[in-house]
Parts: sequence; structure tokens; C-alpha cells
Amino acid sequence: MALRMWASSTANALRVSSSRTHLSPALSLSRRFSSVLDGLKYASSHEWVKHEGSVATIGITDHAQDHLGEVVFVELPEPGGSVAATKGFGAVESVKATSDVNSPISGEVIEVNTKLTETPGLINSSPYEDGWMIKIKPSSPAELESLMGAKEYTKFCEEEDASH
Amino acid sequence: MTIPNCLLLYAELKAARVLFIVRMAMRVCRVLEVFRMGTINYLDALKLQEKLVTDRKARKISDTLLSLQHPPTYTLGKRRTDYNLLVTESELQSMGAELHYTQRGGDITFHGPHQAILYPIISLRDIGHGARNYVEKLESTMIELASLYGVKARAGQAGEMGVWVGERKIGAIGVRISSGITSHGLAFNIDPDLSYFKHIVPCGIADKEVTSLRRESNETLPAEEGDDSKRCLSMSLDGFNPNFAYATWCLREHCKLLEKQPRHGLLEFIWASR
Repeated sequence: MALRMWASSTANALRVSSSRTHLSPALSLSRRFSSVLDGLKYASSHEWVKHEGSVATIGITDHAQDHLGEVVFVELPEPGGSVAATKGFGAVESVKATSDVNSPISGEVIEVNTKLTETPGLINSSPYEDGWMIKIKPSSPAELESLMGAKEYTKFCEEEDASH
Repeated sequence: MTIPNCLLLYAELKAARVLFIVRMAMRVCRVLEVFRMGTINYLDALKLQEKLVTDRKARKISDTLLSLQHPPTYTLGKRRTDYNLLVTESELQSMGAELHYTQRGGDITFHGPHQAILYPIISLRDIGHGARNYVEKLESTMIELASLYGVKARAGQAGEMGVWVGERKIGAIGVRISSGITSHGLAFNIDPDLSYFKHIVPCGIADKEVTSLRRESNETLPAEEGDDSKRCLSMSLDGFNPNFAYATWCLREHCKLLEKQPRHGLLEFIWASR
């Protein structure tokens, strides 16, 4: 009984919660408990990809936005351009720092999130949903295999943060 | 949470602790190469930084710090806020100043002689830092430097990044981070000609003055010698050292940009040491 109560309070502290429609938070051990979602793939440069059929949506992770601080400006490519895996496609500015954003996979840009021009803070408040950055048509879907899953990415963030 | 998951959690915490110790040990072994550049043209410094960033990304070089000054130069950040330039470009040129558009964060600013500039080219991933805490460290560097001369400076509030003494700005920051490698950096006003700031809205913040250590400090500053690069370097390092934990420093004394010729090896430019 005591163990169950302890387990339950630990679960609350670690914010293990029930899932949303098709994306659910995985257990995170990072200091700040940045959220990491199942069903997405992750790059070591802290971008995420959601692959649905012939379209892949790309943005930056909760861990990334937390380390950046308040985003005040977002630079995005034009639709019709192409992006290459591990190469920059845009940038975000926060606290006097512009940080390049790299694409985890290659493809053709079919849509960019124009809301980010007016409301760059969406990247902070909703990094996996309203703060998406670009949608592409992947040219080599096999590239997704080399990306990290939720659990691997959680561990990766943990290791990075461990040197603070 | 089941019992096996608790054990897993315990094991993972143990592993994280071991990794933490290893990372701290690695931090102790970190090397910084410091270059005293003297006065260097903005575009030359930019090209050098781009080369150093590429080499740092490829792990061909260690973390590097450039200490320098610029001739009178105005620069804009990625957002190209040229409405904060209050004179025309030709008026700037007749003053003997240059204007450059850059990829760094931040708004418009001025650089000139007797303003100590530091451009750290360092890997944030190696130290587990993000943009926000890196910028905070740059602020702390300037606050520390000011405090050594009896000046109480503070970090700016939201929307007013940089370092302030009261309502007067003494230091500016503008950084670019590419795949976790930093470039550009900070500019601290030791004793520049502040009248140059009248031609801009500095950092896009109207109705606020710009100041210098000379103005704010009641203490005697170290004497300037020659091109003032030695003073800029030693004062900058006094602020930088306590905030960035490098165990080993490799100081390159007066490196002069001689010729822009391609050559094998680390740097595109030929160095001479005096």
C-alpha cells in the first residue's frame, strides 16, 4: 500500500500522464522534465519530425526551446525550396542569439508556418503543435531510420544536461 | 509505477551520475586558445570566425577566443532593423565608419577603438549549454569586468539584453549559434568615443544612454599602450575566466592579419607573432 502511494506520487512528480490522440509524453528524466513525445523522430540537434504519409512536419523540441529562451524572430525558407538532412533551413532568434535550425531529413518544402512571423513565441508555448516550422515532402524516407526515437532522445537530452 | 520500473529508474539515475562525473572531468581538461588580434576590420573578423566555426564543428580545433577591436563600424543583426540607423550610409562613410549586415542576433550597434570585443568560438554542446545560459554567461563576464573597477553593472531586463549601469548601457551582446558552435559575442565599452552612438538607436532601445567604464568608474583604469589590444585582452579575460571553466589557456600573443592567402592547415590567414 505504502509502495503504491510512493509510486503514485513519484509518477505525479515525473509527470507521467495519459496520452493525447496519437502522441503521448514519454517518461523524461531531464532536470526540467522537457516533454518528449512518442510517435516523433528526433535529431541530435534538437529538431523533431512527424512523418505522416507523404508529408513530414518539422520543428524544434521542447528541450531546444527551453534552452533558447523566448523566441523573438523566426527565419523560414520559401515553399518550393529544398532542404537537406543535417543542413540548416532557417534560424530562430532569442535573447540576442540567432540559432540555426537544421533539417533532420531531406526533401522539398511544401508549406511553412507563416503564423511564426507574427507570433514567434508559439515555438516556446507549443513546440510540437502550433509551433511547427516547415512541412516537407521527404525525398529519402530512409533517413528517418537514422534518427532517434522518443526514449533515445530523452536519454540524449539527459546526458547533455548532466554537464550543467 | 511497478517495482521493475523503480529499479530501472534507480539504475538510470546511477548511470546519469557516473556520466556527470565523466563530463565534469572532461570539462577540467578543456582547452581554450586565445588570440589577441589588435584592431581588425569587421569583414576580415567575420571571415575568420566563419572558418573557425567550420573547423570547430569538424573538431579540428579546440574552443577559441578572439580578443579584438574594430575600426569605427556599425552592424545590424539578422532582423535588419535599419530603421534604427539615424543617418544615411554615405553620412556614415564620411565619418569614416562602415556599415555591415550580419547573421547574429540582436539589433544595431556600434564598434570602435577602445571597446573590448570578445568573439568566443566554442561548442555549447560540449558544455551542455543552450543559447540562454550562454548569453547569461556573457552578461556575467561584463558584469564581473565592471565590478573589478568598482562599477556595479547588471543584466538588462526583458527586452533590454546587455549590461547596464543604472539606465545606461555599458555592454552589448549579439551571438550566432550554428550547430551548437558560437560566433560573434560581446562588446564592452572601456573608453570608446561615445558620440558615434548618437547616430543610431542602440540595440533598438530608445531614450537610453550608452556609457563606458571610463565614465562610470572612479578608479584609475590600466593605461593603454600601443593599439590598446593588450589592455582589452587582459581586462576581457579578467571577466571571462571566472565565468567559463577552462583548465588550460593557450595565449597567442599579438596575431596580425598579414595576407589573405589560402594555405593548408587550420587558418586561411597568415599569422605573425611579435
